[in-house]
Amino acid sequence: MEALEHSSGNWLLELIKKVWRNYSVLVVFVVIIGICGLFAPRFLHPDNLLNILRNTSTVGAIALGMTFVIIAGGIDLSSGPVMATAGAVLILLQRMVNPDGSPLIPLPFAILACLAVATSFGFINGIIITKAKLPPFIVTLAVGIIARSLVMYFMRGATVMGNNIPQFTGIGNGSVFGVPIPFIVVIALAIIFHIVLTRSKFGTYVFAVGGNENASLYSGIKVDRVRIATYMMVGLCTGIAATIEMSRMAAVAAATSGNQYEFEAITAVIVGGTSLNGGRGRLVGTIVGFIILGIVNNMMIMLNISPYLSGAVKGAVILFAVLMQRRER
Amino acid sequence: METVDPMLELRGISKSFYGVRVLHDVDFAVQKGEIMGLCGENGAGKSTLMKITAGIHAQDSGDVVFKGNVMRRGSTPLSMQGVGVSMIHQELNLLPELTVAQNIFLCREPRVASGLVNFKKMNDDAAAILYRLGEKIEPKRQVRDLKIAQKQMVEIAKAISFNVALLVMDEPTSVLTGKETRVLFDLIGTLSSQGISVVYISHRLKEITDVCHRVTVLRDGSLVATKNVSEVTAHDLAALMVGRDVQESRSSDFSGDPSAVMLEVKDVSDDLLKGVGFSVRRGEILGFSGLVGAGRTELMEVIFGIRKPRTGTVLVQGKPVTLRNAIDAIRADLGFVTEDRKETGLVLCRDITENSNYVAWEKSKGFFKGRTATLANTRGMIQRLAIRCSSPSQNVSNLSGGNQQKVALAKWLLSGARVLVLDEPTRGVDVGARQEIYRIIRELAAEGVAVVIVSSDLPEILSICQRVIIMHEGRITGSLPASEMTEEKIMYYATDV
Repeated sequence: MEALEHSSGNWLLELIKKVWRNYSVLVVFVVIIGICGLFAPRFLHPDNLLNILRNTSTVGAIALGMTFVIIAGGIDLSSGPVMATAGAVLILLQRMVNPDGSPLIPLPFAILACLAVATSFGFINGIIITKAKLPPFIVTLAVGIIARSLVMYFMRGATVMGNNIPQFTGIGNGSVFGVPIPFIVVIALAIIFHIVLTRSKFGTYVFAVGGNENASLYSGIKVDRVRIATYMMVGLCTGIAATIEMSRMAAVAAATSGNQYEFEAITAVIVGGTSLNGGRGRLVGTIVGFIILGIVNNMMIMLNISPYLSGAVKGAVILFAVLMQRRER
Repeated sequence: METVDPMLELRGISKSFYGVRVLHDVDFAVQKGEIMGLCGENGAGKSTLMKITAGIHAQDSGDVVFKGNVMRRGSTPLSMQGVGVSMIHQELNLLPELTVAQNIFLCREPRVASGLVNFKKMNDDAAAILYRLGEKIEPKRQVRDLKIAQKQMVEIAKAISFNVALLVMDEPTSVLTGKETRVLFDLIGTLSSQGISVVYISHRLKEITDVCHRVTVLRDGSLVATKNVSEVTAHDLAALMVGRDVQESRSSDFSGDPSAVMLEVKDVSDDLLKGVGFSVRRGEILGFSGLVGAGRTELMEVIFGIRKPRTGTVLVQGKPVTLRNAIDAIRADLGFVTEDRKETGLVLCRDITENSNYVAWEKSKGFFKGRTATLANTRGMIQRLAIRCSSPSQNVSNLSGGNQQKVALAKWLLSGARVLVLDEPTRGVDVGARQEIYRIIRELAAEGVAVVIVSSDLPEILSICQRVIIMHEGRITGSLPASEMTEEKIMYYATDV
């Protein structure tokens, strides 16, 4: 028995190493779920798990687009304010009604307008970054501040209620076969994005631009277009996040909607193993990353820990995740 | 050396990286004041051996003995510098935003009583060291404003400031002009006469036989031979390095159709270039020689749409083309293997497949990559160019210099370029891979590709180019067919005396 263990030990060790190298974030994920289940048995109840998936979808959608931006060597700090702005457009269009109470603008058009506004912000970010050759950090920070300020101004800093009709609130609060619709949307998006990232030329160029912009230029890759496209993708994702969030509340708060979402999304991407230096990264990691964040939020409530401490826990999670990834190298 | 007074002894050094053995039981010794050459193909373990000596890597087994003392395993570069071992790396490690003096005394700045830096003393000391090297560089200048040869002098000054007893130089001349190289050799001679030992790593075997006392050859991580330089020729060394006889061939004149002009460049001028024009024909191998700074690379950048000239026309197969960027050049079936693989040639953190297909993908239609065809193309290139790798999905950062260069070449071969510009195609490439690259270039020319080679290596020009154009300070000063080429004639035009 011992001899057998010895001979298979090496083989097993190699396998474990290999799994760890490629899927460490998944291993950590399973361990976290196990620990959570141990501390709060209610955590593993299907209703709770599905609830986590629903709650995490907004940040999750943004994180998917953010993964492309970060792989291409950029960053987007404007997502939260852009989500509030796009959300405000959606709510303002959606709450307009005819005298008979029916919506003045059909819901799909309102949603399209919301997506268009968010994507336009991505386009603006991308154009300024590539054409004026300014650092993404500064450009998106400034655009974010402007977006938040404008939405505050036009809405007088208030919270505006939307038209609370089931067609609208059903998007964010509904389920199909028990699975929350927001999560289905995010997973569908993730699958499309994964195919784009791994199978398309564009996906490869995103990696190339983030890995070595000069070499990409010399290889004839349209570097500016690739970078603008990644910002438009995170813009579109932010619009989808806005649609989900607004429909769940049927309201938009000028001051707080989307607050800190850009950092949550960036955290998810980093926890998922995408390098902030660009050139490397995976969408599967990002998905695990945002779900881990959702679990942290959920456990804070389960264990009745002060919400003021959630930042401390998330900060620790980032440090832990990045430390683990460093050890792998 | 008659007196045996060992400065450094390496005994039975072995080292593996990620389970791959790079050094196997290597013995190596340098005497006091000796200039020891160290050569071998890329990946032979030269740099690794010296990095172990300098405390950058730790050996798996064996001893580093310096001045008779066995160095402990946990040596760091700083602790080794403290005892007198300094290494000047292939890539210079200076901080461009700091001054010359600040770079020399980095982390060891002289201080005044209050703890602040004593700039006066620092600048004076730096000036004194530079004076010792016979170099007139103002210590207060910012390093980013220096020429590359001056930067190297600063590196040497920094090494010497540690009271160096053993100085390791890794490929110091790869970026220097002929004149600067001679200055460096004089300096190395001076250091040696002061009792400082020098380990000189180079691919340029002629330099080794010129400057060194003895030479050690490594092959595949093992010691092949240590010889007195007086007993060997550069040819012998090349044979020892590759383990077989290397034939240095001479190129012959262009014999194809002289009217089949593929690329014609007329009257290119900008801040540096002054009315430059030339043409290259189908199947021709045209060389560009000249000193560093003559404007050869800049001219190629104009042709490739990267650099905007004030005036100038480029015609491909007789048709004028507008070159606003690299994409226009690629559409016109031009290819450009750049001088600096790491900066402009390759995306190091991505794999061989991606790196060799970027241009081909850019040229082809469709949204998806077409994985089967891509993989087949990549495998074909790995085979044709003899790229040594574990699989097409290996990151190019893990390849040796020669294999990286082949991947950069593969990118343009797969793109179907009809005119291929190669800027320093064998820089940092070992002897064996160099011959393979020459073979590939000849094959391409035979297939009708017009090849333009920019090279600072005269033997390279002589052995492969059918015609050479020589530039000096932005102008074309001469042109020679293969039958009339000699190193002397080329140097005559290059220095424009």
